[in-house]
Amino acid sequence: MSEDKKKVRIAFFDFADCEGCQLQLTYLNENFLGLLEHCEIVSFREAMSERSDEYDIAFVEGSITRKHDEERVRKIRENAKIVIAYGSCASLGGVNGLRRRFSDEEAKEIVYKGRDSHLEAGWPRPVHEVVKVDHFIHGCPSNNDETIKAVKSILLGKGYTPPDYPVCVECKLKENVCLFEKGQVCMGPVTRAGCGAWCPSWGNTCYSCRGLLDDPAEQGQTELLEKYGYTIDDITEKFDLYNRCRMDAEKEAEKK
Amino acid sequence: MRYVYLAKDDLGKFIDLLKEKHRVVAPVKKENLFVFADISGGEDMSLEYIPTIIPPKKYIMPQKESLGKFDMGEVSMKDTSIEMEPTVIFGMHTCDIDGLECLDVVFHKDPADPYYKKRRKNVTIIGYECMFPCDEYATCVTMDTHVPKAGYDIMMTDAGDKYILHVNSKQGDAIIGSGNIFKEADQDAIKKELKDLREKKLPKFKRALNPGYKELQPLFEKSYNNTGVWDDVGRRCVSCGNCTAVCPTCYCFDVYDDVKLDMSGGERGRVWDSCQLNEFAEVAGGENFREERSSRQRHRYYRKFDYPVRKHDKFFCTGCGRCTRTCMAKISLIETVNDLAKGEQDV
Ligand code: SF4
Ligand code: SF4
Ligand code: SF4
Ligand code: SF4
Repeated sequence: MSEDKKKVRIAFFDFADCEGCQLQLTYLNENFLGLLEHCEIVSFREAMSERSDEYDIAFVEGSITRKHDEERVRKIRENAKIVIAYGSCASLGGVNGLRRRFSDEEAKEIVYKGRDSHLEAGWPRPVHEVVKVDHFIHGCPSNNDETIKAVKSILLGKGYTPPDYPVCVECKLKENVCLFEKGQVCMGPVTRAGCGAWCPSWGNTCYSCRGLLDDPAEQGQTELLEKYGYTIDDITEKFDLYNRCRMDAEKEAEKK
Repeated sequence: MRYVYLAKDDLGKFIDLLKEKHRVVAPVKKENLFVFADISGGEDMSLEYIPTIIPPKKYIMPQKESLGKFDMGEVSMKDTSIEMEPTVIFGMHTCDIDGLECLDVVFHKDPADPYYKKRRKNVTIIGYECMFPCDEYATCVTMDTHVPKAGYDIMMTDAGDKYILHVNSKQGDAIIGSGNIFKEADQDAIKKELKDLREKKLPKFKRALNPGYKELQPLFEKSYNNTGVWDDVGRRCVSCGNCTAVCPTCYCFDVYDDVKLDMSGGERGRVWDSCQLNEFAEVAGGENFREERSSRQRHRYYRKFDYPVRKHDKFFCTGCGRCTRTCMAKISLIETVNDLAKGEQDV
């Protein structure tokens, strides 16, 4: 690529999250350097101290919770040509959605005990519930292979659509022994692939960290877990862990 | 062609002989199941096994494979050739050999798939006859795949302290000719021994499907609108796609382009796809021809028991039982087919 061609400017922002997804990017090594031929990172707290307000692509990490965060993300939306919800806290609401099980008072009491007079609990939302999001990169944490794939595709102007098939597909292609065949349970069948069946490949259950499919087999999965002795409450908890915000939004939509 | 004996004690030597000129893959244990994998010697394999998680088709149509490379802006492909060293698939069950014959029909039909063809040519099949049914999920008896018929280079049958080897191709004959561990014997005597062994074996194989071989396709002809059965299956199915990934006769794939980091070009590849996935029958504009899980499941069954019979005059179910074994929702091929047959009687 010729030197005079303008590089795409990328900035990273974090909200309510652990910054684990940004941290993933520091593991990219040579792939990261390859990308730098086409883009310039202008703001990235995990690895640099400078920052800039001039950027084309904004990677927004974390859920939006407080009024102040809403304003900040709106500003980012105004500045950026493309907004990417990066990681499940941003793309789904993620584990932060669990906070919705509690009232403001309860949440403050649990988290900020003793300091709750001046700290705010906020209401966790995925980024797209506050501003328009152009692309989603799911995962807790995000998967670098998918991030690279998405960025390449976005730079080519094709945009990025995450897979709409379940984790099981990637799991079976690797010829893993299915957890259900070992008497364990797994959320793989209803969860969006793209992680390469990360957890089942290491013998761990899928927690649905990448969120539910567009049309998950909720009934089939519920009957299945029931057969394995799970109660409806256990099952709700399994679906809720990463998908609480989406489930709430669906309930809301049904009411209307 | 001909029959020879191999002493059981010489099995390891047989593998060593094969390894002189081939890559050898065979069933090996993986946790509580089995997979086909590379072996370095006879001691690595588990010849007494139930069908592997994924069938050995993975060596001829890999889960993911490159179809070639391209440069940006150009409408041509380069480096489309593939490399495959001569490979022996050792210990293949007769049902999986039948599965490969199904894929051969599909991929060799004009215009033949060059990638499949090239790999297939480099594969030697050494089968291992089942003397017991593997478990309650197999339906090989009805599908008539439980006795060796064709499709292999060599077939091994357990005969006590030795194996009977049926040498069935030039390739197989060359292998037997290259070793001194095989014992020649009177051909009629071996044939008689084999016949006796099979007479003892067959009663152990029980039929699990109520409709017989000849009744199967006619049953499907009448079952398309048996909504009771298809809706029940559709309700339970979680669309994980496992049943198709593990099926020895499923061959659908998706084509993708992977662009290099410097964006100067990339690679075109293909990866296994599944008719059980929501996106499979979706076309431009968003229309989906099989949005309902029930219609996707029905489609799977028809792709085994009806469409290929019309098109290729062959069932595309080998009776291996993998789809039932792998289904976490416990959707059973045996139950589904028997339920369809029941419904038929009711009408
Ligand atoms: S282990 Fe989980 S992801 Fe893998 S096939 Fe089984 S249910 Fe699906
Ligand atoms: S297997 Fe499930 S929990 Fe693990 S990374 Fe993938 S989607 Fe997340
Ligand atoms: S394995 Fe079972 S649950 Fe999964 S797609 Fe097949 S029938 Fe449905
Ligand atoms: S449909 Fe099921 S039993 Fe038949 S060949 Fe496929 S996996 Fe085996």
